[in-house]
Amino acid sequence: MLKCTINGKEVEVNEGTSIIEAFKSLDEDIAHYCWHPGLSVAGVCRLCMVEIEGNPRLQIACNTLVTDGMVISNQSEMVKDAVKWGLDFHLINHPLDCPICDQAGECGLQDQYMKFGQYDSEMGQQKVKKKKVVDLGDKIVLDSERCILCSRCVRFTEEVSKTNELGIFNRGDHSEIGTYAGKPLNNDYAVNTVDICPVGALTSKDFRFRQRVWFLKDKPSVCTGCSTGCSVDVYFNQEGLWRVKPRYSEVNGYWMCDEGRKIYKSTNVMNTEFVGVRGEKKAVKVQNRLTQAIHRKDNEVDYFLTSKALENLREDLKSVDKAALVLTGQYTNEEYEALLSYWKSQFKGENVFHWTNHEENWNDFDGLLIRGDKNPNTKGLQSSLEKHGISVEKDFSKLTQLTHVFVAGPENQWVYDDINTKVDIFAKAQKVIWFSAGLVPVSEDLIGNFLFIPTKTFAEKSGTFVNFEGKEQSFEMVESFVSQALSLTEIVSVLQGDSLTWHKPEQVERVHNEFVHERGTM
Amino acid sequence: MSVIKVNRPKLSRTWYLPGILSGMGFTFKTMIKNLVSQKKMPTLNYPEQKYDYSPRFKGNHVLTVKEDGDIRCTACMLCATACPADCITIVASEDEDPSVEKYPINYEIDMLRCVFCGFCEEACPVDAIRMGPEWQTPGKNGDNFVYDIKQLAYRENLNQGQGVKSVVEDTERHNFGI
Repeated sequence: MLKCTINGKEVEVNEGTSIIEAFKSLDEDIAHYCWHPGLSVAGVCRLCMVEIEGNPRLQIACNTLVTDGMVISNQSEMVKDAVKWGLDFHLINHPLDCPICDQAGECGLQDQYMKFGQYDSEMGQQKVKKKKVVDLGDKIVLDSERCILCSRCVRFTEEVSKTNELGIFNRGDHSEIGTYAGKPLNNDYAVNTVDICPVGALTSKDFRFRQRVWFLKDKPSVCTGCSTGCSVDVYFNQEGLWRVKPRYSEVNGYWMCDEGRKIYKSTNVMNTEFVGVRGEKKAVKVQNRLTQAIHRKDNEVDYFLTSKALENLREDLKSVDKAALVLTGQYTNEEYEALLSYWKSQFKGENVFHWTNHEENWNDFDGLLIRGDKNPNTKGLQSSLEKHGISVEKDFSKLTQLTHVFVAGPENQWVYDDINTKVDIFAKAQKVIWFSAGLVPVSEDLIGNFLFIPTKTFAEKSGTFVNFEGKEQSFEMVESFVSQALSLTEIVSVLQGDSLTWHKPEQVERVHNEFVHERGTM
Repeated sequence: MSVIKVNRPKLSRTWYLPGILSGMGFTFKTMIKNLVSQKKMPTLNYPEQKYDYSPRFKGNHVLTVKEDGDIRCTACMLCATACPADCITIVASEDEDPSVEKYPINYEIDMLRCVFCGFCEEACPVDAIRMGPEWQTPGKNGDNFVYDIKQLAYRENLNQGQGVKSVVEDTERHNFGI
């Protein structure tokens, strides 16, 4: 262990720790763009300057290791001056188009400028114009003018995704980021480059221009995209979720896959699509969630309050003693526990089916994060079934002999590509009670008796997922978006005749990230 | 037990008639003054006559247009951020033209919520929203007071529906380097 002093505070660090890591361990602010804890050290932005006692020149904190008894400071006038003029060099060719830049509000340059800069540029020359709105494939747009050449994205494709699409081309002030021979940046982890970009040079097509980040709040959660269970931050406002970003944990490091970023779509009541060309372009809202209970018998559709529908169902079930339960691995441990113990007392734990998707691929792994099992809680479901001594059946043709079929359907419906054939199978039962967060794709002319009960998505409930390696990960409720949606736990307690209590979600501070530490006041 | 002596004013001061008469006298005096010299009358015969407000009056909002008549707004949402009444709703979208990049496909101001503080005008970095001269925009029951982008930029009484150009031209702005 080495002892050092940072801004007057003593700290002990392991041998081989860089100064910037020591700063981070103390939660001391230090300006930096190119250094990222998950990437190698480049030392190109020259902003993490620190003064070390006994050393006449300033050093960069990211590439200097702590030695015993080092006295380090980044509060002195000399450091502030160095950072200030380092920033001036970064801004020489920066277009300052913050009003149309998606990064505004969580931008390294903006924040450092307000902290260290606040001067008029001393550059007499015209700014060098570079390419704007460069299409880098299906997910990402590049703006070369905004880029400050920190090389984070280049190092990401080199070291983490190991796909090597990006590089820095040309020399001097004509240097810019690009892909080799126009090859698209379409790897499975490409949007991570948008997250680590300290400026607005790389922007995500999915989030581009949808919201300004200062209208959003963020809360930690767990990704429901696959059985890896990455820790994520979800960004939301009262309309719904807008994007998902990775949060550091031992499971996923600093990254997440692009597929997992889709999970926010299952939560939103309305998804916005843009239709038409310039002049007549319109934002069309398409309903995505079940907002109330729907009873659909053949072609007749009735709408109910969820509570009313569940009360009717409770009366109905008094005369039923044989029913089937279809489970998917997309619910929390708490919900499985409640539902299975209810099933055991009511229906003797018989006829439980496990609806799986591509079970043959479940052990697939791409070497980084993506796993073949696209359910967040298959392990939790299996251990709950084991605990209650319930054996699952997989032959869905048996379902047709039963009168009542309960389906705890998938929340992320896009990973269940057999959903339409399953709907046809379930329709043969006398009555199907389907718990679902999203609208279930039932074709108009299908003959069947369906009761759809709206359930909560991962963002609206608290619970626990067990990931592929058996690690239990708890997450808290983010916000309530559909007032009538209930979790399976709540549905079970209503079916047993209990009343419900409502938990108010915890209020959170507005968005912050590695660059934005404090907010201005109006 | 004690007795408090109350000083009651004299009858001549509490009686209402002298006050009424002096008030009527003032009314008649003013009426005769107005009949004799109408120009000095302090009131206006609204709505036949209207008061001239300062050109800097903060009336209904105007979205200014560019040289080519297109909307100037870049949908940066700083006005919506600054708005204390939360009455501005903007939907931004991507333009096919990379030199425009971002533009609003809808821009709505709820005129009934607006408090006409002018913060939107001050917040705008590209001079795209201004408080216009109109203030007399009554409506009937059920009229729409949520002005959409067409009404804010191209309403009939603004330059015959052509839109108002912002004072600072694009070329001049580029000379400034912004």
